[in-house]
Amino acid sequence: MKSFTLINPTTLDGALEALVQAMDRRGRSKAALLAGGQDLLTELKEHLAEPEKVVNLKGVPGLATIQVDGALLRIGALASIEAIESHPIIRERAPALAEAAATIASPQIRSVGTIGGNLCQRPRCWYYRLEEAKCIKKGGAECFSYSGRNKYNAIFGGGPSYIVHPSDLATVLTTLDAQVVILSPKGTQTLPIERFFTLPSEGSVLKETVLKPDEIVVEVQVPLDALSQYSAWSKFKERASYDWALSSVCVAVVKDGSTVKRARVTLGGVAPIPWRVPAVEALLVGKSLDEATIAAACEEALRGAEPLSENGYKIPLTKGLLTRVLRSLA
Amino acid sequence: MTAFPGMTYPSGPQDNAPKQSKTKKVKTTKVVNGIEQEVEIEVEDVAGPEWGPRAALKVLDKELIRVDAPVKVSGRAVYTHDVRVPGMAWARLLLAPQPATKITKLDFSACAKVPGYLGHVVIEAEETRWLGQPVAAVAGATSEAAEDALRAIVLEYEALPFVLDRDSALKPDAPKVSRRGNQSKPQTRGDEAKAKAAIEAAPHKASGTYSVPVVHHACLETHGAVVDWRGGEEATVYCSSQHTFGFAGDAAKTLDLKSSAVTGIVEHMGGGFGSKFGFGQEGDAAAKLSKLLQRPVHLMLTRKDEFLMGGNRSGSHLELAGGMDANGALVGFTARAHKQGGIGDGSLSGLPYIYKCAEAWTEVSGVRTNMDSSRAMRAPGHPQASFATESLLDELAYAAGLDLVAVRKANLEDKVWHRQLDRVAKEIGWFEHPHRTQPGTAKAELCTGIGFAISRWGGGGGPACEVEVAIERDGSVTSSVGSQDLGTGVRTYVAAIPAEEFGLPLSAVVARIGSTRLGNANGSGGSVTTASLAPAVKDAAYNARRAFAEVLAPLLGCTAAEVLFADGGVQTSAPGGKRLTWKQACAALPEAGLRAKGVWAAHLQGNGIHGAQAAKVEVDTLTGRVRVLHMVCMQDVGLCLNRAATRSQINGGMVQALGYALLEERVVDTALGLQLNPCLEDYKLPHSLEIPKMTVILDDEDTRGVIGVSEAPIVPGGAAIANAIHNACGARIRSLPCTPDKVLIALGKVS
Repeated sequence: MKSFTLINPTTLDGALEALVQAMDRRGRSKAALLAGGQDLLTELKEHLAEPEKVVNLKGVPGLATIQVDGALLRIGALASIEAIESHPIIRERAPALAEAAATIASPQIRSVGTIGGNLCQRPRCWYYRLEEAKCIKKGGAECFSYSGRNKYNAIFGGGPSYIVHPSDLATVLTTLDAQVVILSPKGTQTLPIERFFTLPSEGSVLKETVLKPDEIVVEVQVPLDALSQYSAWSKFKERASYDWALSSVCVAVVKDGSTVKRARVTLGGVAPIPWRVPAVEALLVGKSLDEATIAAACEEALRGAEPLSENGYKIPLTKGLLTRVLRSLA
Repeated sequence: MTAFPGMTYPSGPQDNAPKQSKTKKVKTTKVVNGIEQEVEIEVEDVAGPEWGPRAALKVLDKELIRVDAPVKVSGRAVYTHDVRVPGMAWARLLLAPQPATKITKLDFSACAKVPGYLGHVVIEAEETRWLGQPVAAVAGATSEAAEDALRAIVLEYEALPFVLDRDSALKPDAPKVSRRGNQSKPQTRGDEAKAKAAIEAAPHKASGTYSVPVVHHACLETHGAVVDWRGGEEATVYCSSQHTFGFAGDAAKTLDLKSSAVTGIVEHMGGGFGSKFGFGQEGDAAAKLSKLLQRPVHLMLTRKDEFLMGGNRSGSHLELAGGMDANGALVGFTARAHKQGGIGDGSLSGLPYIYKCAEAWTEVSGVRTNMDSSRAMRAPGHPQASFATESLLDELAYAAGLDLVAVRKANLEDKVWHRQLDRVAKEIGWFEHPHRTQPGTAKAELCTGIGFAISRWGGGGGPACEVEVAIERDGSVTSSVGSQDLGTGVRTYVAAIPAEEFGLPLSAVVARIGSTRLGNANGSGGSVTTASLAPAVKDAAYNARRAFAEVLAPLLGCTAAEVLFADGGVQTSAPGGKRLTWKQACAALPEAGLRAKGVWAAHLQGNGIHGAQAAKVEVDTLTGRVRVLHMVCMQDVGLCLNRAATRSQINGGMVQALGYALLEERVVDTALGLQLNPCLEDYKLPHSLEIPKMTVILDDEDTRGVIGVSEAPIVPGGAAIANAIHNACGARIRSLPCTPDKVLIALGKVS
């Protein structure tokens, strides 16, 4: 990796100040934020990121707490994936979130990786990760996956980049109507997580979120309600021990008897952002989760998918996962 | 532990009589670059050491914990990567970023500005012909300085046209990979017309195109060396190598030293699988830098380098057709095969693999691409041939409506495979399985299937090793030979064989290996090590025992032939005779102790092994997930020196087979000219959750001497798993690896 200066602020203000100082007149940043480092370190080693300064958040106290404020779960940005996975209240009242945490990477990575880092991590597309491939995500002209090897790429929301968002937590948090708390020099802002992630056709193709170089994700808030209570998660990994999602599904429902009153359905591993499917949510309301409804929901969920040359299998795969998740909630 | 409780004395006098010399001819295996060849050699026919009856063995053929297990699991074992010597520089390689280039500029001037930069050597200044071909090497005072210097090199080039895949390479207007063209001369065998006629006349026919991608050895320790030369007359070279004596000689040439002036060290090594025979371009570059800088140089490949230039197993494209009669006999077989070994020619075993066929015709050629040359990899060419042959055999068996095990036996004369197939079938639950003559269907969401395949290998040894066994006055025993242990358990049996000979526990003997300062040893390839080395260890131990008996006879008041070594001591075979503890006996030795040499003895080893494997899988027809539930292997190995290590080798073979069956593949972008998965995240090796229940059955009906076993177990697993997937749900996947997308496509679920 390229040499850099490590800055160790002990307050959030200090961290913000370091970020602001590292920006040039045109608003470009020469700094990177370090939390668990599980993504940043590979970015640095592969020369995908070559910051002059690395601002370490680990010295700022209080960022790793997980607390419940009435019906609101507040997860500090530096809380580890492992802490989420094993937190008794999360396991009881937002089970899909704990289940998703447990499917991420390896135990070693989960013990160090953080929720903030997980949401802000960069894509895993092999073209992006290969320094030699000057792809559109790295300022090049082309998304090589479109006409190249695209087995792991997007079937929804692609263009001009066809990455899939790698965060499993993002898929669950979208389902659970989570909010992201962002600190900037202007103050604190709370943003619905759906507005945190951006499609390549909407925001800058060089980024996956709205986060600016002088902003820090400090907390994630999840409403603990009937929806989070009855939530389920399924992630399909090509290699069960350690892998990214080829596809994942998160569903949360509120039922009256067997009748669905409210539903939230999000697909992961299929689009550049967590891919919520409101049409399926609408379809489920007022119905019981019988096999006919489930089959109709699967058709609806994958309607409009635009597979590339090597990822058409994601359609039946995602239907298979959704079938199982809906059955588990029936 | 000082002695084994309950140990009984051997039944008769041990043979301490002089050797008699005559010669005889034996068949054995000779290995060139990891490829086995069967040869006949003349050997000394001696009335010498014998392994003795298996039931009488106290150490060998038992469950032994590896003697180096504690240092390995605690991290104290020093691998080449771990070697640090005073004043050592760190080096990195610059690799060609494209498959074919004409270099227009190679400028190192910016390196000088990098703090800690020490120097560089140019490896290729004009043209590169394969992706990842080394261009230059740089050295720095730290690994970071070496990396910074590497990135400061300015390499400019004209990208030349290239081909990375078989189809492109075979086009008439394809860019030429080498002066020899893109395809090697096809080697044919058999009569094509007769084979086709036999298939045509057969009541049951099947045909298909099978393909196996390029996969990687993925050694946990990458290739590389530490060259410790500081300008004197001698050098020490540490190398992650399968051939200690081979690379030391290579290093001597580059360093311009006599080969005897270079000490090669392989104390521990982290996997080779056939990819680590020579010094390699990386070792050569390290030696050149050491020569330039007059100081030690550490050059180990990065993981990415390892994927690009550290070797690979050749891919295969096999177009097969076969005909079967009503009794299950394979009556006709044709194969047109292309090996894909990058700029090399690749490997492929004979076809049909193992099974006999009255009329078989094969045509095999290599198709070249602008990638690194394939290297030998654990049973070179066998897994590819096995996958295609066993798949076709299943398709024919189903066409004929015959039992998959019965069909295999119908085409095998050697009854060893019959008993092995019957046993693995029983262990895997074949006789209770519903789909024995027809595959299952995908009606259920979870389908279970079983598949079979067989293997063979030579595994014989040859005269190469010189072992010394030393007994000291303080009772310590060392067994020494320069051989490397590439993970197969060499160090343990080098100690275990003398322990058996002297009636001592394993812990009483220290093994010294992995250095050219010790006795000569051959490279570890083609599973020749055990059958070459173990007899020499036995011979040395036997000679030491006989010499020691001569010393002890007067003390015990008996003849040398009457001295018994057992139970941690020595005594006469006469009833009520004297007994000495081992330590007391050793005190009778002179100051210098006792040393005896040993060489290979043909009668202590064997050649030619058989194996059969079965795999049971569960296919999730909703998602395409294949979960291997159980793998069973039955294997003959001759005399098993260490049952635990042998089982581990077989388990390892099955795990590697599971990897190439379900996950592993070199992925390239043929337009950009890049490998897309040169890392252990995207090159998917199986991890703990992929490992199924594994059953290893050692075939104890085999009464031969020691035979190498490690190649064979990697062969059948891939075919068995692919066949099990088909057996489960009717999804025939003819191209490895059997990933979920291919399963869903084969089930007709992808539009």
